[in-house]
Amino acid sequence: MVQLTPALLILLGFATSVSAGSSDIFPYAYKMEQLENGLTVVSVPLPFPNIISYYTIIRCGSRNEVELGKSGFAHFFEHMMFKGTKKMPRAAYDDFLTRLGAGTNGYTTDDYTCYFVVFAGRENLSRVVEVEADRFINLYYDEESLKTEAPVIEGEYYSSVSNPDRRLLELLRQTAFEKHSYKHTTLGYLEDIKDMPNQFAYSQQFKERYYSPDNTIILVAGDFNHDELMKLIKYHYNSWPRSNYLLETPEEPPQTRPKRAHYPWPARTLARLAIAFHGPAFSAEVVDKAALDLLAQASFSPSSPLYQRLVIEEQKCVSLNASFPDRRDPYLLIFTATIKKDEDLPYVEQQIVAELERLKTEPIPVETLAGVKSNLRYSLAQDLGTTDGLASTLAFYLNLRPDPQILNRLFRLYEEVTPEIIQQMARKYFRPEASTVVTLTGGKEP
Amino acid sequence: MNHLAPRLCFFIFLGVGLMLTNFSCQRVDPNCFRLELLPEKNHPLVHLRVLLRIGSANDPRGKEGITQLCLNLLANGGTRTKTYQEITKAFYPLAVSVELNVDKEMSVFSATVHRDNLEKFYALFREMLLDPGFREDDFHRLKTDQLSFLEKTLVNNMDEQFGKEILNLMLYENHPYGHHEAGTVETVKSITLDEIKAFYKDQMVQGNLIIGLAGGYPDNFPAKISADFSCLPRGFTPQLKLPVPKPAKGLEIVIAEKETPATAISLGFHHPLTRSKDDFFPLWLACSHFGEHRQHLSRLFQKIREERGQNYGDYAYAEYFLQGRDKFPATNYCRQQQYFSVWIRPVPNSNRHFVLRQTLRELQKLVEAGIPKERFDLVRTYLLNYTRLYTQTLAERLGWQIDSHYYGYEDFLGEVQKRLPLLTKEDVNRAIRKYLNYQNIYIAIITKDGEALKEALVANTASPIKYANPRMPASVLDEDKEIEIFPLPVKPENVLVVPASEFFQKPGIPGKK
Repeated sequence: MVQLTPALLILLGFATSVSAGSSDIFPYAYKMEQLENGLTVVSVPLPFPNIISYYTIIRCGSRNEVELGKSGFAHFFEHMMFKGTKKMPRAAYDDFLTRLGAGTNGYTTDDYTCYFVVFAGRENLSRVVEVEADRFINLYYDEESLKTEAPVIEGEYYSSVSNPDRRLLELLRQTAFEKHSYKHTTLGYLEDIKDMPNQFAYSQQFKERYYSPDNTIILVAGDFNHDELMKLIKYHYNSWPRSNYLLETPEEPPQTRPKRAHYPWPARTLARLAIAFHGPAFSAEVVDKAALDLLAQASFSPSSPLYQRLVIEEQKCVSLNASFPDRRDPYLLIFTATIKKDEDLPYVEQQIVAELERLKTEPIPVETLAGVKSNLRYSLAQDLGTTDGLASTLAFYLNLRPDPQILNRLFRLYEEVTPEIIQQMARKYFRPEASTVVTLTGGKEP
Repeated sequence: MNHLAPRLCFFIFLGVGLMLTNFSCQRVDPNCFRLELLPEKNHPLVHLRVLLRIGSANDPRGKEGITQLCLNLLANGGTRTKTYQEITKAFYPLAVSVELNVDKEMSVFSATVHRDNLEKFYALFREMLLDPGFREDDFHRLKTDQLSFLEKTLVNNMDEQFGKEILNLMLYENHPYGHHEAGTVETVKSITLDEIKAFYKDQMVQGNLIIGLAGGYPDNFPAKISADFSCLPRGFTPQLKLPVPKPAKGLEIVIAEKETPATAISLGFHHPLTRSKDDFFPLWLACSHFGEHRQHLSRLFQKIREERGQNYGDYAYAEYFLQGRDKFPATNYCRQQQYFSVWIRPVPNSNRHFVLRQTLRELQKLVEAGIPKERFDLVRTYLLNYTRLYTQTLAERLGWQIDSHYYGYEDFLGEVQKRLPLLTKEDVNRAIRKYLNYQNIYIAIITKDGEALKEALVANTASPIKYANPRMPASVLDEDKEIEIFPLPVKPENVLVVPASEFFQKPGIPGKK
């Protein structure tokens, strides 16, 4: 029997209406439609009164910065998206949002850029749709305006310049990746940031390529009527032309030798360690990433034996963490530790490596795995507990696959993961030649 | 300290908890805890909040940091019968942890849990607060972490926060608010486990507690909690009688010197208002106009970031502000005394003098000219709508309810909806003139080459800046000509340059006689 997934139905030109099934982790009914120009709209009417979250998800992030000298550009362009249009210049746009009393902002990630307007009162929805559509279709700014905005990015860079964790992550990505654009962080390299004032022409090209309906998802959650919403969206977004641009991200060659780097922090600080392995891209179909997610939790969460020993019993570390972020392309499986004494760095590194080796030979206890699955389910239930919590969580998954069913599929995949599968994944991914170790230690006593 | 009494109580009441519903005494008897309930029957989550009406201002002199360390031992340590390891293992499948926030006069333990797991979680949570283990290994771990934070992290890894904390030291010198909640290196080192136990015994008394519950908890749950916490000794710590903090005389500046490419600036001064006073509302509106937290409408944001691209943001506050979820204010940081402050996010060192001049010039303009009519209308509309977003989560709804009661309102946000429409522009301008000033200000600066900045400030050296945009609007460049020579009356004896590493070693401002 052929089962039509919502995504497939859309490809066939249908709109989808999905009620939550009893085994579904995503507890709300939703509707999904696609306009002729490729714009995907997901609507989730919710029982929480009076609040509406209106999210515009552009599937473009620092992953799209594949050209030399353009690191950080997706984030910079996010700033430019607030410059207004000829019909509604910046001041008028600000005035509109201010009167609305909206919680509004944008953020840029590796894979997507998200803009949200969270506001009270369903009577305001029609105006929000109109204004947001105008902004995304008709953005207008001149070169002077871009040159004035560019130094703000430098200021944003400086606002976290004293944070060693940011430096550690920058160095880790720079060392671990050779070709893929995940090599740099969303803020980008400082030298590229300093060159942003000179990138007006490129910014126009950037918009044409990526800020298009076929690369965008509108997600609306909260107190509204779906049919009214769709009427508004079709009216205001229909004129937005497709881009049809296809991004080719450079393929990362397999790592064949272990890598290592160190950053000497100029002032006193706790020591930092990051160990990374190249891992798989997000998938709700292939089990690898799901199994690794469970492995990270089972072996490095506060309830894990290694955490309990290094952080609580031996008190070598302030924190120990495994972070395997979901990304559209293959990314990193990262283990980090903040260590109390510099001299314990080698010991902590050795303990993490030993744990990874152990995972290859000893299966994780079944009850531990059950605890992890329970944790993930209840964590998600908490994330989905408010209108905006639901919208921001779903926005992340929609960027990965523009279909809310992705959450249900992912959690069903988690249920299929066994200790044996986790063991296989440990063997497959934690190969010494694919590892990158980055350390950071501080200066001496003044 | 003798834990026997509470422990005995704990077991006695365990079986009869449901029968004990002493709610009636709670609002009138200061020796009794108070319940704050916010039932939402169909909500899948439950939020618990145990608030203590004590904070770092209650730290005994010489033991600064003890409130935080003591309460952290409850939130992140073992109980008498269970190790911390056992607790973290038990919490993990429930996806819950206990969060602790310590402020000057208020401390909060909080957790949000799915109602499926409420009983399991609460059984442990209750034990953590009522029957703590005070184990040597937990004490050593958490004390070491607190010291690392003071010695390394706060001074070297978070300049924006560092600037705000220096401003706090300046605002509250020789005052119970005048130290960081984590204390100082010297005083935390001196704290013993016996002192922690004694502090717990003194402070963990019924009248110091407000116990909050929100969401889909069972009907009998308040009675159960009430019975459990009734085993704590009756009594309360009287609210602190705070001295009047010393106002700044002129521009008083402390420069923390360190190697950094950018300069963080925080400045402020006291005012006598809290949310409980009528004048708070117009002052709050004025501050929203001048520097609403992370919003484009802020005047400072418009002038410094939007027109000139100097930094990431520039904000002003009518009271102590901590960002909660998204950009909304965190709750349960209530204080008897408040202050006005401005937070200038890091600017390149080359522009620090200019931006400080620009900030103080804008403040002078605000005080002298007040708020224009169109801005008054705009900001009032904004606040009426924006504050409707403050209570989206259970934690926020309960937090605001508790804050409302602290400041004497049934519902502060409801009061906002009633009062703002009645405000006039004149009310706001009267409050600006009465409570704000531009002459007497504490200014904290984190930067490199502190002596060079001091020299430039004292000499009022011109501080022109350069732009990447060669065609900046003439209006901006014309205004810059005024800003770059805007005189700041800085006396050399009012500028202290101190190496950053010397802060938080001992109480007070290092190097100050």
